[in-house]
Amino acid sequence: MAASEQPAEPSSSIPDYEFMNLCSTPFHIGSFRDEWLKRLKPENVSFQPGDLDSFEARFAAAMGVGEETMTELRSVCSVDSLLCHSGDQEPDPEVVPPNATLQTLTHRKKQNNKPQKRTNNRHDLYVDELDRLTAGRLPETEANRLPEGELILTINIYFPNTVEKFNHLRAHTTLLMTGSHTLADLRDAVCCVSDLQVCGEFSSTPDMAPDFMSKDLFKSAYFFFEGVFYNDMRYPECQDISSTTIDWAKSHNYPQFSTAKMEDTRFLDLKVKVGYPYLYCHQGDCEHLVIITDVRLAHRSDCLDTDLYPLLTHKNRLVTQKCSVCHVFIGRWYTTRDQFAPSDPCLFCDKCFRMLHYDKEGNKLGAFLAYPYVDRGAFN
Amino acid sequence: MESYRKPVKSDCEALLSRFQQTQSVRFEVFSNIWKEMKFVQIFRQSHNKRAFCRLVLDVAYCYFMPPFSFQIRVGGLYLLYSFYHCQTTSPPEQIRVALKDWEDVRNFEKESLDAQHLDVAYILQQLMTCKAFLFTAMPTLLHYSRKRTEEKPELCDEFMERPCRPQELINTQLSEEMSNIHELYKNTKASISSQMSTAAAASVSLIRGGIVSELCSAVMEFYNWQQNRDTVGEAQPSQERISSQQECSNRATLLAAIKSKAYEEPSEAVKSRRHRQVEIDLPAEEDKSFLKLRHSRVTKPSLKNRTKEQIHMSGDLGREAARTTLINHLVTLEPALQEKIKSERRFKSLNEYLESQTKSTSH
Repeated sequence: MAASEQPAEPSSSIPDYEFMNLCSTPFHIGSFRDEWLKRLKPENVSFQPGDLDSFEARFAAAMGVGEETMTELRSVCSVDSLLCHSGDQEPDPEVVPPNATLQTLTHRKKQNNKPQKRTNNRHDLYVDELDRLTAGRLPETEANRLPEGELILTINIYFPNTVEKFNHLRAHTTLLMTGSHTLADLRDAVCCVSDLQVCGEFSSTPDMAPDFMSKDLFKSAYFFFEGVFYNDMRYPECQDISSTTIDWAKSHNYPQFSTAKMEDTRFLDLKVKVGYPYLYCHQGDCEHLVIITDVRLAHRSDCLDTDLYPLLTHKNRLVTQKCSVCHVFIGRWYTTRDQFAPSDPCLFCDKCFRMLHYDKEGNKLGAFLAYPYVDRGAFN
Repeated sequence: MESYRKPVKSDCEALLSRFQQTQSVRFEVFSNIWKEMKFVQIFRQSHNKRAFCRLVLDVAYCYFMPPFSFQIRVGGLYLLYSFYHCQTTSPPEQIRVALKDWEDVRNFEKESLDAQHLDVAYILQQLMTCKAFLFTAMPTLLHYSRKRTEEKPELCDEFMERPCRPQELINTQLSEEMSNIHELYKNTKASISSQMSTAAAASVSLIRGGIVSELCSAVMEFYNWQQNRDTVGEAQPSQERISSQQECSNRATLLAAIKSKAYEEPSEAVKSRRHRQVEIDLPAEEDKSFLKLRHSRVTKPSLKNRTKEQIHMSGDLGREAARTTLINHLVTLEPALQEKIKSERRFKSLNEYLESQTKSTSH
């Protein structure tokens, strides 16, 4: 699709820097994969561990050297020749040696002396290890096995810019996707609280609230990559919400944008720049930046189970607003004009809210307005 | 983790410059230097291991790529190999190879095979067999994070391959060929002009006569200049080697000196903190001039100092000018006038006093 647009540009499948260390030139992901596979032998991309013995035999034959030379070569190039301590007296690999001359180590010593930021939260302890949970995991059935030569994309989804402090850009979630995933898969994998908002006042019927989630009411969404709007059109009630932008651009002499369907577009069909910020818009105006930070061929140490993709490798934890009564649970109800509340507005968790505002039969006590509240950190 | 990039880079460059001085591409030589510098200790740390391994491999990857000479690229490959196998994470971090660089890797392999560098070829192919490479679009992960102060990627000049294309292009064969063609052209021109038999035709000259010799001398000049630069570059480190144990390249020490001096210069502080600025007294006069050269922003002396320097006054006037001017001096009147006012005031107050006195007595 996108590749046919610019046949005159031969390197459109070989990405290079557009701006140094910032983003790449636009390239077609599918033909990028083909270029790699064209250059590599099947054993280079295979998930089988390499056989060193047969490699050495092949190497010796190709170079025309004898067994003796080969043995010497092996011993010279062995990894043991790089270790500086002898045999059994291996020092602690976690301690910086006291009399180090390397600049890195003197720098590390300085860094270690700095007061470390300690967290007491158990969630933070292994937050960087999330991607290692699935590393090298094998599928249960052969059908779920990731095909060799498949692409793996690393995609960062950022917070919508409705957050007050937008000056620090932190990735909300980092996802690993395969090249054969469609953009609709990515849409389903992005969890954002604005999908879970419930609009309306439910003080008289609090049990009804979960039936009115925004996700089920407003299903339209789009991705924007390289001048193309990819609309979600999977359901009959979906609308082309990009048309407003396109019409506006047309009336203001901007370059033409085109549209495509999100569910019909695989990552392999996309033409993108790596490292360039793109847009995901849903719920009308909840806009997330999307950056494809990496595109590469799958490696045998990757998770090989296709069922586990899209794979979450990083998630930013947010501070949650707690219930103003128990201070334990995350707030789920937001009340105003509430005669029982210590403040106006006030947050309650579900349990405290019901205990305070309803009798045993579930009848509303007193006068107040109650709105369901979804915390920003609900996905922690 | 980003703060480690600079020290890691300088460590790698120190290792590679030592490797370069040996003028060898043998892995044995490399591993000896590696062991001498205790490079394996670089992985001694307690946390953030994976991120550090990633950084180290990314730094080493640069030296494996073309702008550098073949020997440095071999050193870069050895670095990658050593880092890959010595890293403490499991499963190991892989070496990222970008698609645009793959051609260079193939050429490098071919070059080493042609030259029968067994260890180079063995290590490269062994890494391939170990599945140590990730085949990627870009050498690093890109986040579109623009830094406020853009640092230019410094490439170590000494590791670069010297351009030798001019010498390759202008060789004796070519110059012979060119002079032959020139002869031919001259002959043809002479024969035509004799036929035309007009003076104007003979005077047409489109080509300089001595083009071949000029070309040759230009190339020779370029070559000599290159050689001279190299000898200058090489002579100084050899002296240094005697003087200091740590063999850093001359350029590196020079750069370090410049940097340290630059840091000594107190930077312009925020307005609110300007009253607490650090003052640094520079040891020698020449340092000051050096700084002046480097910094485009030169602080001017104050207006007062400039006036004092430029305008010389003598006697009373000079003394007065040297004194600091107080604000109330600006509004004082001429001495005579002042005297007059003073007496008036005294008189006035006396009058008032007398008046009040008479009033009180009358009551």
